[in-house]
Amino acid sequence: MKIFRFIVALLAFLAGGVCQAQSMFRGNPAHTGVYAGPAPRQFHRIKWKFPTGDRIVSSPVWSDGVVYFGGDDGNIYAVATQTGRQIWKQATGGPSPSTPAVIDGTLYVVSYDGKLYALNSHTGAVRWKFVTGGERRFEAKGLNGLQPKNQTVADPFDVFLSSPVVVQGAVYFGSGDGHLYAVEAASGDLRWKFQTGDVVHASPAFADGVLYFGSWDSYFYAVDAATGKEKWRFHGGEDPVLHNQVGFQSSPAVANGVVYTGCRDAQLHALDAATGKEKWHFDNALSWVISSPAVSDGRVFFATSDSSLYHVVDALTGKPILRQQDKAYMFSSPTIAGDVVFIGVLNGTLQARDLKTGDVLWDFQTETSKQNKAWVLTADRRFNDPLLYHSIWREAPIVATDRQFGIGAIFSSPLVVDGVVYFGSTDGYLYALE
Amino acid sequence: MSVFVRLTSIILLYSVFACEAAETAGGRWEGSIQIPGSEFPLIVDLDQVAGQTWAGSVIIPGLGVKGAPLTDLSVGDSEISFTIKAALANERTGPAKFKGRVTSPGQLTGDFLQAGNTATCVLQKTGPPQVELPRKSTAIRHEFEGAWKGDYEMDGYPRHVTLTLANHNPGSASAKLVIVGKQTNDVPVELVTEEDGLLTIKSPEFGINYEGRFRKEVSEINGTFTLGPFELPLVLRRASANAR
Repeated sequence: MKIFRFIVALLAFLAGGVCQAQSMFRGNPAHTGVYAGPAPRQFHRIKWKFPTGDRIVSSPVWSDGVVYFGGDDGNIYAVATQTGRQIWKQATGGPSPSTPAVIDGTLYVVSYDGKLYALNSHTGAVRWKFVTGGERRFEAKGLNGLQPKNQTVADPFDVFLSSPVVVQGAVYFGSGDGHLYAVEAASGDLRWKFQTGDVVHASPAFADGVLYFGSWDSYFYAVDAATGKEKWRFHGGEDPVLHNQVGFQSSPAVANGVVYTGCRDAQLHALDAATGKEKWHFDNALSWVISSPAVSDGRVFFATSDSSLYHVVDALTGKPILRQQDKAYMFSSPTIAGDVVFIGVLNGTLQARDLKTGDVLWDFQTETSKQNKAWVLTADRRFNDPLLYHSIWREAPIVATDRQFGIGAIFSSPLVVDGVVYFGSTDGYLYALE
Repeated sequence: MSVFVRLTSIILLYSVFACEAAETAGGRWEGSIQIPGSEFPLIVDLDQVAGQTWAGSVIIPGLGVKGAPLTDLSVGDSEISFTIKAALANERTGPAKFKGRVTSPGQLTGDFLQAGNTATCVLQKTGPPQVELPRKSTAIRHEFEGAWKGDYEMDGYPRHVTLTLANHNPGSASAKLVIVGKQTNDVPVELVTEEDGLLTIKSPEFGINYEGRFRKEVSEINGTFTLGPFELPLVLRRASANAR
């Protein structure tokens, strides 16, 4: 009887305090990226595709038969999973490459207008807005070797906004103003804010009362969720010249007392959740790790940008288990559902890989990617760098990056619900594949 | 006899036709590469050097290509093909190529291949050729010849440079450039020139340039090393003088 009461109490606590498994970025507050199966091992058809007015970088989340996501057209969307029809849309003041969190009938999402929005998840009506110090992208003089070197350049690869995590009545998210915020979920009142030295576009992971997140100031932080006090910080790599190999853009995952995070210093870091001491790191030879790692059954799954590698490593030791060469950068985070891993590729391809072998089971190429306008891609779907990046001067590389992203790139991290895979693309469509 | 006459006639006719084709190919050709969703303007200059060997260069406005030399240039009976190695290429994509034919007087039609993609390309003859011949290495002053050593620091790491310069006949120099940092890099040098005492070394493949002047009083080359956006002072001293 006591056990029964305990289980009921536990269920009640979970129902009231934590989002459903598919209703926030990376599936849960610890951001492990693991979703309930089944997952399609074969591609049959496009169930539907939902058009929006601009690119979709946000990842979809699910709650009660509805998928929610942010659009770079400034709208937040609710779409019926069965029909692919719009239930509602709500305008924000800017693009929203942030992944919403849905809990207890409220959707929380960040927009480039510098506000955190709380919307009625059934109607889209605005419940409250919380104003931060304002959004901005990471920027630096001579960034990535661009010329003229005294020009401050906003990083075109800083594509995501922080995705809120909602736990125990509070909404936690990062901002371009350099803070991590804790806001009352019910009212939008500020609980506390924690200042870092630069942009925070990673999404905090939550475990055992602690928030874990990285900043572009080169530090990774652990902060007490109740008080906002720093517990520890870890120093990642620095790059004072090119500003290329610095900053935590990847969002962390927490499992079994270890925090796993990618970093622009080209490492996947494994940190002790209690102390911040580095347990191991996996070197990716100057290639960024933007994707957020997934963790399952003692293995860490992640992907790289320039080297375009899909990795699985041992969670305890960091020793490589498998490595697969892909064709283009991966900023999307791997999603584990059943025995399949899904990941988006910036060449406009969604891949389904076998969980154990890493082999590609099937892939789906967006129509925009197939059209390959202006030869952004080579014939074998790699980025056509000689045509894209023919100048490092003034706006040329920025324009090139924009063209690169416009190929139907998939930044979005896939969502799997009832055997259907949902993801957004820069071609402006949200796809449902089965 | 009749066979001989027939053969001679065929050879004569062929050479006349080939000459016509050659004459037809020479000139400036302007048009566009029609790739999906876009068009790149393309200007090709073809000319016969000293009336014999074909040479050519290409201009692609908007893609930063001006006067890139054509290699593997072949001009046949109305068929023309060439490769562009100095632009629009990297190790993964391989060089861009063109293969086409003169389809009507003053019109050259063909396929432009780049990174495995193929597009139709139509060019019209618009005037006489303005071929840009690639710059060649020059001879250097005697005092530059020999092995030189120097150091610079980048990103907190020291790099050791060895530059070996030599003159060759007829009147051109070559350079061997080795940079040792975390690893040893044999930098391929494409151009060595010396004009008014200014030594210039260029490696477009590595994005490296060096410019320096010989200072007789200290027997050094004082110069600037450029790697992409970085410019660093680099003093080179005789390798033998550095020996310990």
